[in-house]
Amino acid sequence: MLFGKKKEKEQRSVLEEEQMQSPFRTIIKNLLENKLAMGGLIVFVSIFAMCFILPIWFHQDLNYQDPTQKNIAPGFSFLSVPSDLKDNAEVIEFGPTYGVGVDKDGYVYEWGQLTKNLKKIPADMGKVVDIAVGQDHVLAINDKGNLYTWGFNRMGLNVIPPELKGKKIADIEAGYQVSVVVTEDGKVVSWGNTSAVDISTANVKDEKVKEVKANIQTAIALTKDGKVISLAKKETALDNVPEEIQGKVEKIALTDKAAAAVLKDGTVKVWGNNHDHIFSVPEEVQGKAVDISGGRNHLVVVTEDGNAVAWGGNENKQATVPTKASNIAKLTSGYYQNCIIKEDGSVVTWGLKGYLLGTDNLGRNVFYRILKGGQMTMTVGFIAVIIQFAIGILVGGISGYYGGTVDILLMRLSEVVGSLPFIPLALILSALIGNKVSDVGRIIMIMLILGFLGWTGIAGLVRAQVLAERNKEFVVAAKALGVREKNIIFRHIVPNVMTIIIVQATISFATCMLTESGLSFLGFGVAEPIPSWGNMLNNCRSSEVISQYWWRWVFPSVVLGLCTVSINLFGDGLRRAVDPKANER
Amino acid sequence: MAKYILKRLGYIIIVFFLLSILLFGIFKMVPGDPARLMVEGQKQSVSPEQYEMLYQQARVRLGLDKPIPVQYLSWMGNILQGDFGYSTVYRIPVKELIGPPMKNTIALNVVYYIFLFAIGIPLGIKCAVKKDTVFDTSLQVATMIGISIPSFISALIFIYLFAIKIPIFPISGMVTTGANFTGFRAFLDYLYHMALPIIVCLTGIGGLIRYVRGALLDALSMDYVRTARAKGLKEKTVIYKHAFRNAMIPITGWIVGSIVGIFGGAVIIETLFSWKGVGKLLIDSLNQHDYTVALSMQMFYILLGLAANLITDLCYCIVDPRIKLD
Repeated sequence: MLFGKKKEKEQRSVLEEEQMQSPFRTIIKNLLENKLAMGGLIVFVSIFAMCFILPIWFHQDLNYQDPTQKNIAPGFSFLSVPSDLKDNAEVIEFGPTYGVGVDKDGYVYEWGQLTKNLKKIPADMGKVVDIAVGQDHVLAINDKGNLYTWGFNRMGLNVIPPELKGKKIADIEAGYQVSVVVTEDGKVVSWGNTSAVDISTANVKDEKVKEVKANIQTAIALTKDGKVISLAKKETALDNVPEEIQGKVEKIALTDKAAAAVLKDGTVKVWGNNHDHIFSVPEEVQGKAVDISGGRNHLVVVTEDGNAVAWGGNENKQATVPTKASNIAKLTSGYYQNCIIKEDGSVVTWGLKGYLLGTDNLGRNVFYRILKGGQMTMTVGFIAVIIQFAIGILVGGISGYYGGTVDILLMRLSEVVGSLPFIPLALILSALIGNKVSDVGRIIMIMLILGFLGWTGIAGLVRAQVLAERNKEFVVAAKALGVREKNIIFRHIVPNVMTIIIVQATISFATCMLTESGLSFLGFGVAEPIPSWGNMLNNCRSSEVISQYWWRWVFPSVVLGLCTVSINLFGDGLRRAVDPKANER
Repeated sequence: MAKYILKRLGYIIIVFFLLSILLFGIFKMVPGDPARLMVEGQKQSVSPEQYEMLYQQARVRLGLDKPIPVQYLSWMGNILQGDFGYSTVYRIPVKELIGPPMKNTIALNVVYYIFLFAIGIPLGIKCAVKKDTVFDTSLQVATMIGISIPSFISALIFIYLFAIKIPIFPISGMVTTGANFTGFRAFLDYLYHMALPIIVCLTGIGGLIRYVRGALLDALSMDYVRTARAKGLKEKTVIYKHAFRNAMIPITGWIVGSIVGIFGGAVIIETLFSWKGVGKLLIDSLNQHDYTVALSMQMFYILLGLAANLITDLCYCIVDPRIKLD
């Protein structure tokens, strides 16, 4: 064999040689000796276990989409703050997949997954004192009050508006593809992709603004006299700032759909749309809050004793504050990452580190979709095989046992079904019936199509086996005892040919998985958002995806390939174990 | 023999009609009204009464006003006269639409089969002769992997390797864009674009190798081979003159059965490589809801499948006189 030598056969005495071994034990023994088959079995069982067990702990809504997290390469670098920065950080800010930090000497560091433009940090910035990070651009200000920006450079984002020239700058903020600057005299200037992000400075024309916070859709401003004003042109839930807090606000923060404010008396107020239980401010912070920051769907508060408390969405552990977080000097949150700089200058981070196998074009975790897709592909294959076998055994058994006209009719039927071109027919049925039914209905339909079109091989096999068995003594004995014919076929003959049927079943299972994947790959199988290994590859056909976003097609392909290869190796080994004569060939 | 062929032909015709009724029924279940689709554009420009009149006219023109059995009969009658209907997307008869893709598919398949047989049969023979050597075992594993990996995955891998990382082949399409080659140069360009799809198709060559190996091993285990060896014939003569000729019977059946397949396009490969063959036409017509085309193509595929069955059986009978047809 390919791997390792076969063991020398034990010498047995003549008496032992005569001992009988049950066929079942022979099969198991043969199978265990076949290393390839056992390897296949182990690989398949591990993939199977992974797909069905891991999602118990690890969950993501299948309809989940997040454009800020799309096409992220595999890796866990989002929180890898460079060691030089770790002990003397001044400011740290997070973008969706990366972080930017400034140390006490004004040097800028970047880490995580950076685009080519983001890596082009301007060389002549001098001592940087503050930074702001958007979707994929960075805004920085140095000690002389000069503004710099780099990263995404379309939509006019790279052009600092001339009206800012010579003005003293109080606060900088970066939204999705937009930059916002607040000058010392309380004016707000914004530029960039203002069609994607709803920001209008008209709302605060007559106000003196202290700071601005932006999320991926809009921004809010805090005035010097403690009022909060939404910068959105359109009416949003953020406009409903509670009247009683106006004039008392110290700090503000934004999540995707809600805004939060820390008042002078240390209470926290949240308004907007309640998502991820964001309105349930923990009781222990009320009256003690001094600072607040928000990510996509969570909020973090620093209390007066220097500890941090977080709540809201926690799918990336972004609201699980590590115990080390005490003596906080500065807190920042962005997207799903958080960072605190302690009084001694050291840095503690928590939140989203990255994705094991990257994300797809809608920001969904590829690893999770592979697990879920595996469940789907295997379930569809399994049920399709069950249907094939139910029909195949029934037709083959009856046909082989009765013979004559019944046999001819059934075998003609089998021949017709067998000669139907499978893929075209499945495509057409799926296209015609598929758009009338729900997602689950569609999956059931795929199973039925695979089952009802693929039983002919098994029927032929069972028929041949039954033909060979039907004149044996045990059948004659059963007949003589007056056992009903139905029972003779399915209780006496079929169990005797079961081993061969099982061999065929393993190989059919792999074929069904392949066919389902093929149909889904063409867009006629399992439909999005439900994943299957085939439809995960459906939108990976363009050369751009194949070359740049390789993780989107490599991982599903590898798992599907491994799975079918291992099943086939196991099936092949099983065939040899069941039918040792096949080894002679 | 003639009686047998007639019987089988009659049987094919019956099956064909039964399936056509089934498919026609399924296609009638499709939501969407082609007559409505036809007059939709005029809805804004004419009054509601006129629109209704136009709609009714369209229904009459398309024969939708008649009961479904009558519609089926007229559709079938047209098909038998060679009229497959009208593509709603391309606005030309289906018969004309299918012509060019059919040529492309046949071209691709012919080249593919030449390579398939030229590589597969010798390798299969070698495997059988060198049974259980390292060569045989490793090829058995390799073919198993080749069969188990679906064509779209091998296609993605080969595109990545040979069209993106090492750009020696075009990613997809059938002609080099912008280069107006003529004559022999155009032909070479066509072959060049064919290369990658064919390489991908050839990853499934394991099926043939295993089949040839099995057939030859069966023949080698026969008594006449033992006799031939016993009388001292050279091993080459034993294998090629005695065993292989007998192994040719099942192999020929396999070859003939698959050759009928040259008319049927490989749907996945053609779609992936934008090879404008019948497989891609089928997918496109389904995606564009051009059901007249899809239905005609489906009937064509069914006819092909049934014919392949018959031809394979006949071929067995011609090659091996021991097989009796009944």
